[in-house]
Amino acid sequence: MKRTILIVDDHPSFRRFARRLLEAEGFAVVGEASDGASAVAACRRWRPQLVLLDILLPDIDGFAVADTLADEPQRPVVILTSSREASDYAMRLERTSARGFLAKAELSGAALAALVDRR
Amino acid sequence: MRGGQLRLTVALLAGTLGLAALGLVATHGEEPGFLLPIPVELAVGWSFVGAGLVGWARRPDNPTGLLMTLTGLVWFGRQLEWLDTPLASHLSHVSVNLFLALVAHQLVVFPNGAARTRVERMLVVATYAVALGGYALSKLFYDPTAEGCAGCPHNLLLLFPNSGLNAIANLVPSAVGIVLVVVILARLVRRWWTASPPARRVLAPVAWTGPASLVLVAVTIGLYAVGVSATLDRVLQWSTLVYTAIPLAFLAGLLRMRLHRGALGGLVVELSDAATATDVRGALARTLGDPSLEVAFWLPEREGYIDLEGHPFGLPSGGDRAVTVLGDGQQRLAALVYDRSLLDDSELVRAAGAAARMALENARLQAELRAQLEEVRASRARIVEAGDAERRRLERDLHDGAQQRLLGIRLALRLARGELEKGGRAVDELLTEAESELAQTLDELRALARGIHPAVLTEEGLGPAVETLARRASVPVQIDRLPVDRLPSAVEAAAYFVTAEALANVAKHARASGVRISMRHADGSLFIDISDDGIGGADSAGSGLIGLRDRVEALNGRLRVEGSPGRGTRLRAEIPCRTGPDARAVDGA
Repeated sequence: MKRTILIVDDHPSFRRFARRLLEAEGFAVVGEASDGASAVAACRRWRPQLVLLDILLPDIDGFAVADTLADEPQRPVVILTSSREASDYAMRLERTSARGFLAKAELSGAALAALVDRR
Repeated sequence: MRGGQLRLTVALLAGTLGLAALGLVATHGEEPGFLLPIPVELAVGWSFVGAGLVGWARRPDNPTGLLMTLTGLVWFGRQLEWLDTPLASHLSHVSVNLFLALVAHQLVVFPNGAARTRVERMLVVATYAVALGGYALSKLFYDPTAEGCAGCPHNLLLLFPNSGLNAIANLVPSAVGIVLVVVILARLVRRWWTASPPARRVLAPVAWTGPASLVLVAVTIGLYAVGVSATLDRVLQWSTLVYTAIPLAFLAGLLRMRLHRGALGGLVVELSDAATATDVRGALARTLGDPSLEVAFWLPEREGYIDLEGHPFGLPSGGDRAVTVLGDGQQRLAALVYDRSLLDDSELVRAAGAAARMALENARLQAELRAQLEEVRASRARIVEAGDAERRRLERDLHDGAQQRLLGIRLALRLARGELEKGGRAVDELLTEAESELAQTLDELRALARGIHPAVLTEEGLGPAVETLARRASVPVQIDRLPVDRLPSAVEAAAYFVTAEALANVAKHARASGVRISMRHADGSLFIDISDDGIGGADSAGSGLIGLRDRVEALNGRLRVEGSPGRGTRLRAEIPCRTGPDARAVDGA
């Protein structure tokens, strides 16, 4: 059974390539969202198991979105992502309710699966 | 000297009137009951005319002297009583009331000589209304024969005789008159109480004699309203001599403004020791007797005033403060801001300012220096802040633009490799997409680099760079003139960014249909003029414009934004081209 995933990013080209990459590696991309508010709405609607969540969004940042999703009944596993490096967000990544962080440059199905299965 | 001749004529008239009255007493033996003993009559009339003429001559710009003169002449109108006709009798009584109204009028408006507030105007009007209207009212039902004065002149204003109505018609104006007197008195006391020291010095003589005579007037009105005995009548008649003190008090107040002119000598001595602007201010404040005096210096490059600490200073308009601007005819130097009561002697303020010129000039240079230092500190902080903000913007631009696309391309290539391994046919499509992403990335990087520092400016100079900006602008741009020669790179960069920011502002805020740009290199400076036909009202303290101003002022230039709502915006800058190390390099090239 394929894992279901929602991709949240405000750059359409990144969403497009990420979708194809993850689909090629065995994920089921159930939806895309371009900002924090629509990400929360999409989660309630599609109930994905995973959320690939960009940190720098036009409305609320990814950390806040992750906290909101953590209070949702289905509690999807959230993996934060950014074109910046993990060290740029060191303090906040330590405290986040998200499962992990994956730099965009490192994005692959295998890397994502490894992070999700870590715990 | 028309004023002088007029005053001489008035003096002769007053003398003649007095002598005529004296002649009438001498020939008739006894004055009509209504008139005062002749020495009192002459003393009151001549004191007003005499003091009035002196005040008028010394302070022609202040109506007080003229008002006093007029009051004295009106006083002599009483002598019409001698004619013993009904009309003359009315006129002589009217002149008595008019005299009292004139005195009250002067008390209301002293020392300005003219009503300045609505309340003052209303009081003055009410005074005349009571004096003249009240007189007419009091005669409407008065029949001299019926009231026991068979020898009195016939009453021309009689409507119908009625003793009861007559009593009321006499009582009402008297009561209103007393109320008015009390109000004027109260105002005088309050003005004295709240006056600044210089104003108090001017008010002092009037503040003492004014209430005294007003009380007398009130008592007199009151006593006559209830009726007086013959002896009391005589006492009241002689007490009228107090009125002679009023013009003298007015004159004293007027001249007191002049008395401290002697202090100017002391000022010159004091100023020779004054080292700082604060000392100069203190010396001026003491000389003019106004501790609240402020000194503001004119700053030509800012076209505004600064205070002693170098902060921007707005001149007050109206209110209790008056302003005298000092300068040398061509250039403003400083402004003195002081208590309005000194305004009656603006010549003194001007004279003191002139005496303080040298010291003020020195102090102005000091204040200017302080202002520049403060401005430099502020602009240094702003430049650092602007640099940081620019870096943040660049990081964000790189993050949102080129970096995202390059990441996308990397993912695409990774996918393509996977496809290749599987022998799939999507490789061609993925590579095409990657290539288009790469092309867009390059475009974005070029635009970003242009924002940091445009290559066309470095390679081709200001003219072609501005033309490029004009082509890219969202509003049609008409270029009237551009420099053809190369200028120092700092000047070119400043001019370029001024233009870029101006065009960006036009696009964002102005709602304009066109922009005109003119740049002229003349007399060692670059003159920039950018105007639009939009809605105007640009704020020259806006953050974008402040940054530009810092950039221009760092090159010793000036930048100004003019524009009122509805009349478009016009940005003008002048940047000297011969400053900085670059200037030499270009000269040598």
